[in-house]
Amino acid sequence: MSAMTLRMPRHFISDHPLPWLLPLIAILVVFALYPFFYNIWLSAHEFIPRRRALEFVGFGNWLKLFADPRMWNALWVTLFYTGVCLAIEVILGMVIALLIDSDDPGFGILRGLLTLTLVIPPAITGMMFLLMEDAQFGLIAAILSDIGLIAPQTAILAEPSLALWGVVLADVWQWTPFMVLIFVAGLRALPTDPYESAMIDGASVWQIFCRITLPMMGKVIAIAVLIRGIDLFRMFDYVFVMTSGGPGTATYTLSLYAWQQTFSFVKWGYGATISLFALFIVLLVANLFLSLTKVRW
Amino acid sequence: MLLSPWQRILRIGVAWAVVSAFAFPIVYWLTVAFKPDRDIFSVPPRVFGFQPTLQSFEEVFGISLGFEHGLEVLPGGGNFYMLPRLWDSIVVALFSTALAVVIATLAAYPLSRMRFRGQHHFVFWVLSTRMMPPVAVAIPMFFIYKNFGLLDTYTGVILIHALMNMPLAVLLLKSFFDDIPVEIDEAALIDGASRFKIFRKIVLPMAMGGIAATAVLCFIFSWTEFLFVLTLTQTSLKTVPVVSSTFVTSTGTAWGNMAALGAAAMVPAFVFILLVQKNLVRGLTLGSLKQ
Repeated sequence: MSAMTLRMPRHFISDHPLPWLLPLIAILVVFALYPFFYNIWLSAHEFIPRRRALEFVGFGNWLKLFADPRMWNALWVTLFYTGVCLAIEVILGMVIALLIDSDDPGFGILRGLLTLTLVIPPAITGMMFLLMEDAQFGLIAAILSDIGLIAPQTAILAEPSLALWGVVLADVWQWTPFMVLIFVAGLRALPTDPYESAMIDGASVWQIFCRITLPMMGKVIAIAVLIRGIDLFRMFDYVFVMTSGGPGTATYTLSLYAWQQTFSFVKWGYGATISLFALFIVLLVANLFLSLTKVRW
Repeated sequence: MLLSPWQRILRIGVAWAVVSAFAFPIVYWLTVAFKPDRDIFSVPPRVFGFQPTLQSFEEVFGISLGFEHGLEVLPGGGNFYMLPRLWDSIVVALFSTALAVVIATLAAYPLSRMRFRGQHHFVFWVLSTRMMPPVAVAIPMFFIYKNFGLLDTYTGVILIHALMNMPLAVLLLKSFFDDIPVEIDEAALIDGASRFKIFRKIVLPMAMGGIAATAVLCFIFSWTEFLFVLTLTQTSLKTVPVVSSTFVTSTGTAWGNMAALGAAAMVPAFVFILLVQKNLVRGLTLGSLKQ
């Protein structure tokens, strides 16, 4: 007992979580919290080139934001892109996951091959698709025109109605495997009993999928959608290297618009305001999603 | 599901076809790295049947420049000598990974082993930094770095990449620590060991596989990151993804060189990712799904 009491102070110190968490808290405060408040401060100011100084504008940037048609266009492009990519990647991902969820020889290799797209820098993926979607030398453009989907010699990324789909293609290629791998892991963890009784009852394959697989995969799908959705909403790399937002404003995402306003057009305060707006939307939607799906970390 | 032999064969065939379709752009990109310009720009485009050349690789790795030119790099890219940029990528990824893993390991232990007030909120705060659009960090960080002289420095990029990987590292390591039975800690505590000793002597060795997997993922995410490096560097360093996007010159895009650099950047990442297959899904979902 006396030995225990002697050791008490040391226990007390190392049993408290604070010393363990201190480095993490420090880096989060300096590199996440401080920039966040700095960003709020920045959004209340604007750089005036004539006087070469930041001036206080109050809510001016926010009023400008809500009246800016290009911002609303960027928000729409971002939401459209996020929605389309999520839908394609989830459905295609599920189909491929069901296809390759097998213990037959060779399927392990297939799952390994599918991980490769995930580690390619998205900027380089963008460049790959830029070349493949080139009107003259592009392989994808040639294939698409061969099967009659687009006219020959179409510059996919320069066509206002097609450009965003050209970017979607790169995204779907790179990130559908992300869904596949998560779904395969989810499928492998499912219990087999419900399937056996369903087959004894003579349920069809489609019925089994809708009534057993989907409900039991709910949490897995929710997590995959959340993580992918967050990344899609802040997409920057592909449009930066593939289209720079063009043609016109057809592929401007919120992230790209904010970045360009700050660094290309020297609207430091306005760019900060747009980036804050994007941050608020993502936090709001993600929180809503978390509380609706009851996903917990 | 019970499949007949024919259905099984059909399934294997379709599965290989689908995966080949996904692997194909990588194969094509690798062929571009070995193609002379005339074959890259063939109309109609051709994948195979070209005269392979190492010229793109030689230019990127500085072999054709000669030694005395190899050491000087013109800012703005007067040539395609990219070894220094690969070096930048390696330094940034290695140091930011080390920093993130050390800090996250320390933080993940109490999050897994202790209960304290506001713990749930704290975990959520860590998670919510994963949700921040990078642009909302990069814009203020540019001005902050400018004031503190961290713009265009290794330190600046390493710190921001460590921050970027922090939610992943903390949550993933917490899930690995959760796998280790807490009874081991309790037994050691009763024997009079301090928390730190338990952490160092028992939990750390048992979690080594998980820590290694976390490190690999942090390395890959730093290796592929684009926006922070684009924003927070100018001339003294650039990582591979950012410098690739500058291969568009006034006389056209140097696709061959870009593909050669891309190949050099992809291959190590491919090797790494194949090493962590077992923990990949857990990593991609920030520790919330175990394989």
